[in-house]
Amino acid sequence: MTSTQARSSGVLNGLSRARKGVGLGGRSEHTPRPPRRFSTRSITLVLLVAPSVVLVVLIYGYPAIYSVFQSLHDGNLVEVGEFVGLQNYRIVLHDPVFWQSVRFTILYCVVGVFGSWVVGLALALLLRKRMYGRSFFKTLLLLPWVVPVVVTATAWKWLVATPGSVVPRFAQDLGFGQLLFLDSPGLAKTIVIAYKIWLSFPFMMLMASAALAGVENDLYEAARVDGASSWQQFRRITLPLIARSTYISWILMFIFCIGDFQSIYLLTGGGPVSSTSTLVVLAYETVFGNFQTGPGVAIGIIMTLVSVLVSVVLFRRIRKVQIS
Amino acid sequence: MSSSTVGTAETNPLVVPDESGTEGASRGSSSPLWRYTLAVLVIAVVVLIPVFVTVVLAFRPQLQSTSHSFLTLQNFTYVFSQTQVLTWLRNSLIVTLATVVVAILVAAPAGYVLSRSRSKAISGYALLLFIAQSFPQIVSIVPLFVLFAKFNLVDNLLGLAILYVSITISVATWMMAAYIDTIPVALEEAAWIDGCSLFGGFVRIVLRNSLPGLLSTAIFAFLLAWSDFLIAVVFLRSDTNFTLPIGLQTFFSTNSTEWGYVMAVSVVVLVPPVIVFGFLNRYFSIGGIGGSLAGH
Repeated sequence: MTSTQARSSGVLNGLSRARKGVGLGGRSEHTPRPPRRFSTRSITLVLLVAPSVVLVVLIYGYPAIYSVFQSLHDGNLVEVGEFVGLQNYRIVLHDPVFWQSVRFTILYCVVGVFGSWVVGLALALLLRKRMYGRSFFKTLLLLPWVVPVVVTATAWKWLVATPGSVVPRFAQDLGFGQLLFLDSPGLAKTIVIAYKIWLSFPFMMLMASAALAGVENDLYEAARVDGASSWQQFRRITLPLIARSTYISWILMFIFCIGDFQSIYLLTGGGPVSSTSTLVVLAYETVFGNFQTGPGVAIGIIMTLVSVLVSVVLFRRIRKVQIS
Repeated sequence: MSSSTVGTAETNPLVVPDESGTEGASRGSSSPLWRYTLAVLVIAVVVLIPVFVTVVLAFRPQLQSTSHSFLTLQNFTYVFSQTQVLTWLRNSLIVTLATVVVAILVAAPAGYVLSRSRSKAISGYALLLFIAQSFPQIVSIVPLFVLFAKFNLVDNLLGLAILYVSITISVATWMMAAYIDTIPVALEEAAWIDGCSLFGGFVRIVLRNSLPGLLSTAIFAFLLAWSDFLIAVVFLRSDTNFTLPIGLQTFFSTNSTEWGYVMAVSVVVLVPPVIVFGFLNRYFSIGGIGGSLAGH
C-alpha cells in the first residue's frame, strides 16, 4: 500500500516537473511580495526591462514595418522607388524557382527537425548509461554545434566534394562510380540535409538530456515490475514525460531551420541550379545577387508569415500539453 | 529488485536507467560499462570526422611543397605572415566580447523581470521575444542595412556588435530567466524586509547567485557572435574590417583552392570557441529555456 502511494506520488511529481520545463524544478509557487511602495517597484521593473524592449522594437519592429513597405515598392537597396502594389508578390508567386524553394524548405525543415531530434534523443538516452568518460563524451558530441559553421561547412565540402577525398573514394570503392556529390541535385539535397542534422543534433541532445534529468526512475521500476517491455516503457513513460520539452525543442529547431542561411549557403550556395535553395537563400540571392530588392523582400515576408504562423500554432500546442 | 531485471534494462538503450540500480548491477561485471563506452567512442569518432579533417589538413604540407615531413606549420606561418588573419582575429575578438558584455547587461535584468513578474505586460513582452526569435534575420537585414547606412554603421564593428546583441537577445533572456527561476524568491523577500530595494535585491541577491546562468548566457552569446556569417557578409565591406568567418571565404578560389591555408585559418576560427566551451561547458545548460519560453 505504502509503496503504491510512493509510486503514484512519484508519477505526479515527475509529471509536474516535466510540465514546468525541466531544470526549473525550484520555481516558487507564490508571487513575490512587493517591497514597501508599489510604484517604485514597477518603475524599477520597467527600467530593468526597457533596454531589451527598445532593442527588440528597433531591430525587429522597425525592419518588420519597413520591409512590408519595401515589398510594396519598386526600388533597390538604397532607395525606395514608386509604389507598385502587390506586383512584387505576383512576380514571386509566378516564379517556378520560388515554388521549388518552398518544397525544399519544407523537406529541409521537416527532416532537419525530426532527424536531429531522433539522433539527439537517442544519444541523450545512451549518454545516461554508466560508462567511462561520460562527461568527456558529452562535451565531445557537442562539438558540431560549438565549432563555427564556416569551419564545418568547409570540412564537409572538402570531404564530399573534392575529387579524390574520403567520401568520393569510398563511394567509388563501393561501386557507385564517380559521384559528384554537390553537382547532382538529389545528392546535394541529401548532403545539405545530412549536414543540417549533423549541426543540430547536439542542441536536441542538450534539450533531451535536460528533460530526461527530470524523469523519476521509480516509474521505470514500476513498469518493469508490471512487465512492460522497454519499447513500451519508452513509448508510455519517457515520451509523455518529456513531451513538453520535446515540443519546445521542435519549435526552436523549426525556427532555426527555416531561418538558416549559412549552413546551406556555405556548403552549396543554393546550387546546383537552385536545387538546395531554401526561401532564405533565395531571398538573399534575389536581393544581393540579382539586386531585385522588392521581390526578395516579398519572399522574406511570405517566409516570415509562415514561420510565425507555424511557431504560434506549435506554441499553443505546448500550452495544451501543459494543461492536459 | 532482482539483478536480472536490471540487467535487461541495462542492455536496452531505450530505457532511462535507474542510476543506483545500474551501479549495483555493474559492480558484478564491467562489460556493459565497456560496451557503452565503446559504442559512444565509435559514434564520437564518426561524428567528429569533419573536425579531425580540418585539423589534420591544416598541419599537412602543401602538395607541391618540398617538405617531406608528415606534419608542418608552414600553412600557419603563411597565413599569419602573408594575410590579414591577425587583423580579422582581432576584429572577431572585439565584436564577440562586446556582444557578450552587452548581451548580458541587457538580458540579465530582462530575464529577472521575466522570471519574477506575473503582469499582463510581461506576458506581452514574452510573446514579443518569441516573435522576434521566429523573425528570420534575412528579412530584417535589408531595412537595417538602409537604416545603419544613415548612421555610418555599415562596414563598422560597432554596428555589427549591435546586431549580434539583438540576435542573441531572445534566447539570452530565456536562459537568464530559466536560471533565475531556480533562485528562491524567499532570498529576495528577506532582503526587502531588511530594507533592500528591488534593484538592490536584483544586484545583491539574484546576480550574485547567478554565476552559472551568466556564464551559460555568455557562452551562448559568444558562440553566436563568433560564428555569424550572414550579418557580417552583408554589413562588412572592407577587408580590414572583416571578421574571421568572412576572411576565411577569401581563401576560396574557383580554380584551385589551397586547402592547407583554408584549413589553417579554419583552425584559427575553431580554437577560441572550443577553448571557451571546453573550460566552461559544465556551466552550460540550455534545457531550461523551455519554461521561460512557454510561460509558467
